[in-house]
Amino acid sequence: MMTRVLTLLAALVVLALPAAAQTGPLRIEITEGVIEPLPFANPDFVAENAAATELARAIARVVAEDLTGTGLFREIPSTAFISQITSFNSPVQFADWRAINAQALISGAVSVGGDGSIAVKFRLYDVFAGQELGDGLQFNGTQAGWRRMAHKVADAVYSRITGEGGYFDSRVVYVAETGPKDDRRKRLAIMDYDGANVQYLTDSASIVLAPRFSPSGDRILFTSYESGFPRIYVMDVASVGRRALATQDGTMSFAPRFAPDGNTVVYSLTTGGNTDIYRMDINSGAATRLTSTPSIETAPSFSPDGSRIVFESDRSGTQQLYIMSAQGGEPQRISFGQGRYGTPVWSPRGDLIAFTKQSKGRFHIGVMRTDGSEERLLTASFLDEGPTWSPNGRVIMFTRETQGEAGSASLYSVDISGRNLKQIRTEGGASDPAWSPLQR
Amino acid sequence: MRIGYYISGAGHIALILFVLFGGMFNSSPEPFEVTEVSVISGAEFEAMMAAAQQPEATTDVAMPTPPAPQEAPPPAESQPDPTPPPPVEPQVTEAPPPDPAPQPAEALPPQPAEVTDAAPVLAPPPQEQVVLAPDNSSRPVPLPAERVAPEPVAAPEPDTRVADTVTEEVVPDAAAETPREETEAGAPEEATTQIVTEAMEKPSAAPTSSIRPRTRPARPDPVAEAPRDPAPQPQQQQAAQPQPSTSDAVNDALRQALEGAGAPSPAAAGQSGPPMTSGERDALRVAVQQCWNVGSLSSEALRTTVVVAVSMSEDGRPMNETLRMLSYDGGSADAARQAFESARRAIIRCGANGFNLPRDKYAQWRDIEMTFNPENMRIR
Repeated sequence: MMTRVLTLLAALVVLALPAAAQTGPLRIEITEGVIEPLPFANPDFVAENAAATELARAIARVVAEDLTGTGLFREIPSTAFISQITSFNSPVQFADWRAINAQALISGAVSVGGDGSIAVKFRLYDVFAGQELGDGLQFNGTQAGWRRMAHKVADAVYSRITGEGGYFDSRVVYVAETGPKDDRRKRLAIMDYDGANVQYLTDSASIVLAPRFSPSGDRILFTSYESGFPRIYVMDVASVGRRALATQDGTMSFAPRFAPDGNTVVYSLTTGGNTDIYRMDINSGAATRLTSTPSIETAPSFSPDGSRIVFESDRSGTQQLYIMSAQGGEPQRISFGQGRYGTPVWSPRGDLIAFTKQSKGRFHIGVMRTDGSEERLLTASFLDEGPTWSPNGRVIMFTRETQGEAGSASLYSVDISGRNLKQIRTEGGASDPAWSPLQR
Repeated sequence: MRIGYYISGAGHIALILFVLFGGMFNSSPEPFEVTEVSVISGAEFEAMMAAAQQPEATTDVAMPTPPAPQEAPPPAESQPDPTPPPPVEPQVTEAPPPDPAPQPAEALPPQPAEVTDAAPVLAPPPQEQVVLAPDNSSRPVPLPAERVAPEPVAAPEPDTRVADTVTEEVVPDAAAETPREETEAGAPEEATTQIVTEAMEKPSAAPTSSIRPRTRPARPDPVAEAPRDPAPQPQQQQAAQPQPSTSDAVNDALRQALEGAGAPSPAAAGQSGPPMTSGERDALRVAVQQCWNVGSLSSEALRTTVVVAVSMSEDGRPMNETLRMLSYDGGSADAARQAFESARRAIIRCGANGFNLPRDKYAQWRDIEMTFNPENMRIR
């Protein structure tokens, strides 16, 4: 008996020892952090010759605006700088940049060649680690394309810090609106993602709707009332040449969207008072009917892999979202919340679906998982509609229309987290945006 | 039942016999003192009393002589205060001419110190005392011979009889026709030419002092330590041993517990000081998470948990060159790299001025592993 008692006591004493003693390194778990813009320093790029002085300053400003426009970065004003970058190859005084809490430093240089070409190069530094993030990059181009080169620098910086692709070197096609509400003129326009370099693709002689980029960004699908009925056209962006898709005369076709392969188009076609979804080979004009119900099915959007299509339908009595195979078949409803859901768009990442929701007299832009779970409403206003995804699937652009006789439509963007809601600068009114892929 | 009666009866009987015959009630006589006396008569008593002489009483007591009166000393005459001497007026002398302003010495350029690029000659570090191996063996050697003879004689064989002359050992020769008489081998007693005393002994080559033992080499990393799963074999052996003693059982329990999961790693064994309190751990965690900015992380990086290891200096600053990602979970390698860079920025940025860590527990936080889990920071 005594033996057992002593044995038990000895075991308890020995087992209690590790509770007081620490084994190995100290281990802690960090589960909470902060969400705030990352401060960065972006001194004016070094002009390597006199002709590049203005360009160097302008390119640096575009890079800074791109990054700060995401809401993920905060630029430190140059008045706070202790050091200056006077040479692209000079060593960086990290202590000076650490002192002003710059966590990232962009060092760039611009040179103009004798033939008018420009070269933009940059390096990105992790200031607190005291090392370069990735290798330096150089872009060569023409002076007319200096903004694109600045966007590419910003894309590279964004990608290296966040780990996801950028979206700055992209364009947006939209419907430019002018005139009062009762006599509004609409025409297609294309611009850089930030509102610069606007070009008009059509005149205002006829109403145009719902422009959509092709996966390669070289073509645009849109709907025009040029023939008196809504009809789908495909336009070459470079030449602005266009042609109508081979749809039956006297029918209404609208809401077109490219498939990921770029050769197939899905759209809605109204015949006999019934609207269904069709797919068409854009080269041969062969069409296939994907839905066949007496309800209205429209706004189809392919998944990134081209295997499924999300669309809206009122087959249940109210406007809801459904997913079906790209070849048709029985769809599956994914929206079950209060209100009406419409204009679904599949994310380029494939994980989310953006939509417009009308509930209790207000419109929202929201996102949900592809199975309908985790619905989140990102905006709320008198009228928000028509979401489109940025190339990296991080930002959504949409149309917001204000109330009243003097109300107008404009473009807004919002991060998928619901933060950083901001208006896009456009000349006049703008609606129905479609984001292009990253330019080559 | 009867066995109990028998045992009880036998016990009672034995007790009664012990009481009766065991001497419990025997009285032993008390010890007494015997004194011899003698009888005397009354006359003898009177004579004895008369012989005792009584002392005589006296009244003459020598009184001491009183001391002679002394005259009182005359009172001291009061002396008037001496008049102070007139103050001596300071002798006015002409002001000495002002000291000439020191001429500024020409600033001489300091003599350039002779600086050489040669490395200073440093005293060589104390080397270990190299000693020759003692030529004496630790094996016991026979005592030297105590006998002094003109010729040294080696120690005879152990069985040889000591004799004055050397005699060969003769053994019976079976091959001989007449076997020789058996005689024991004789040899003179062991002797040497002189008596070697301790003072004349050759000094030993053994070192009289030794340097301190060197510290143990660094212990291996915990990764390389033996698996902590306790081997079941000792327990089975323990169970198979029949009736272990108390001390053996305690020792075995200690051994099994130390060999098991409770055994600290070698790295821990080298650590000292009190353990980190939960408050101290929380303070470090809060300090790091204040700088952990996940706002610029991608969605995939926000699903990636990374474990970052860092070694700290004694002033609580992270040693940047030791920052490394130990492992990641939940995302791709690119996402893990982004998450690690974010964690690295947090550690470096908030540790630039040193984390608030208890200095006396440096051994506890010298090496830290931080797990950055962005689960609560994901977009929902």
